Amino acid sequence: MNFFHRFASPREFFRIAGYTVPWLGGATLILIVVGLYLGLFVAPADYQQGESYRIIFIHVPAAWMSLFVYMSMAGAAAVGLIWKIKLAHVIAMSSAPIGASFTLLALITGSLWGKPMWGTWWVWDARLTSELILLFLYLGIMALYAAFEERRSGQQAAGILAVVGVINIPIIHYSVQWWNTLHQGATVTKFSAPSIHLSMLIPLLIMAAAFMLFYAATVLARARWEVLDQERRSTWVNEYLEQL
Amino acid sequence: MTPTQRQRLLVVSVVFVGISIASGLTLLAFKENLLYFVTPTEIKTTELPKERLLRVGGLVVEGTVQRDGIQVQFDLTDTANAVTVVYSGILPDLFREGQGIIANGKLTDDGTFMASQVLAKHDENYMPPEVADALQQAKNLPEKFKEKYR
Amino acid sequence: MENTESSVYSAFIAIFRRDLKLALRRRAELINPLAFFVIVVSLFPLGLSADPPTLLRIAPGVLWISALLATLLSLESIFRSDYEDGSLEQLALSHHPLPVIVMGKVAAHWCTTGLLLTLLSPALGVSLAMPMDKLGALVLTLIVGTPTLSLIGSIGVALTVGLRRGGILLALLILPLYIPILIFGASAVDMAIADLEVAGQLYLLTAMLVLSLTLAPFATAIALRVTLE
Repeated sequence: MNFFHRFASPREFFRIAGYTVPWLGGATLILIVVGLYLGLFVAPADYQQGESYRIIFIHVPAAWMSLFVYMSMAGAAAVGLIWKIKLAHVIAMSSAPIGASFTLLALITGSLWGKPMWGTWWVWDARLTSELILLFLYLGIMALYAAFEERRSGQQAAGILAVVGVINIPIIHYSVQWWNTLHQGATVTKFSAPSIHLSMLIPLLIMAAAFMLFYAATVLARARWEVLDQERRSTWVNEYLEQL
Repeated sequence: MTPTQRQRLLVVSVVFVGISIASGLTLLAFKENLLYFVTPTEIKTTELPKERLLRVGGLVVEGTVQRDGIQVQFDLTDTANAVTVVYSGILPDLFREGQGIIANGKLTDDGTFMASQVLAKHDENYMPPEVADALQQAKNLPEKFKEKYR
Repeated sequence: MENTESSVYSAFIAIFRRDLKLALRRRAELINPLAFFVIVVSLFPLGLSADPPTLLRIAPGVLWISALLATLLSLESIFRSDYEDGSLEQLALSHHPLPVIVMGKVAAHWCTTGLLLTLLSPALGVSLAMPMDKLGALVLTLIVGTPTLSLIGSIGVALTVGLRRGGILLALLILPLYIPILIFGASAVDMAIADLEVAGQLYLLTAMLVLSLTLAPFATAIALRVTLE
């Protein structure tokens, strides 16, 4: 518990995150290079889709992260609202633009994949539509946060919206089963009989880990500068800035 | 119980009852047919409205694909019944015999399905061609397909 | 402690009556969403085609989208004037639970918008070539769906009412949350027109109503506390 209290103090967070970000960034870079090499050069072509399935190594991790970041953001926002922890709000608001980017990436790569495979850039299928709604949710949260002059009110208001939006996440996740439409079912979560070949699964999981680390690195980096701005009147920030 | 505790209990029970009713209704809803998604069997056996957009899914029957210029005609089956689909336009890459597809369109009076859009439903299996061949030889694939498009 | 429940109930009734009386006194504001509903619906035959089969095909979507937009335009009236003259702050400071006050205000809002839109909808349905015997399904979906719109909308208004230009932002926040209701509402009417079973959609619309009825007043109350800080 002591650790959390120390970590949650803005000053300690700024210091610890400062050490962590470069390591996370470096690990991200290594994993992306390894993942892309395995995915694009080592993994064999698919029995039905040939070479074009390889976009899976970007598309699927991005889609996973679009949901994961949303859940982390809403979780952080809930922690901030319930226990009134400033840092949790900062983490939540720093997550929003990153999550929105992952969602956009998933939509764009999905569209590129859909054209050769399904025969269309876009269908108003449940999975695609809910991913689009997720993007709108992210944009709404970011816009609401930006609309408030006072940072604290903005964080709380946008945090409430993020928590309310969580109701949409299960709809997104189960929409494939509910509406039985074009998008194929989830591949990896069926642990009983993995329907993806190991040589393709490994790069996929490496890319997923890379995206996860990328999120960790960027959210900490963003939160760091946010904390610095938020605490700009305190002495430690002034001391820090003088050292530069 | 203090008034605050009493109030909290009330709030929690109201929320609990509300969520239970909502989930009960959702479960009821799933027993109903929510989409105009139909199978070839339903087309054969039930009276479906003509002149409205339907979505039919199934497997392309081997040996039934006839091309005439840009117009394509093929049979779609759910392994029990088949329906003839007519479509003019460019077919997606994944369109082939035995493949699962979804066609959007309308039923005509003679029982054929006029598709305005044909979409290939690629499955959730990703494997190298050699593995797929091996599976095919083991005759595993048709079973899996039957299960999926039952 | 018998009087806690009765005082909660009387607080609800008092707020409901007060807001209803205020709304009825501002006739112009009462009429605006209805006029908007009628005008938007009548734009479609003019802009697309007056051909009855085409109208029938688009009718469910047009009616539902127009009702949704009309509700969206009217949402600010739940809290705006009370926020501006300070009475919202007084209400929040009272010893009555804020979620109950919110419920009273949302109920009054629905009676003066959603309910009236629903009552008006059969006439517009007829103008879009809907057969008489299918108007019941339209009314049924709207009567179950529009309260959910008011309830979810109240969260958005509570979040944006303190902002000077909250209008467009409100639309951006609320419309994504409205999409499931639109999908099920419009598809229920569509299936009713095609003589198909609509029970599934109605169950889901009711489920969303019950869920928002239990959760939205609390979310709105928390949001109001942030706005009023």
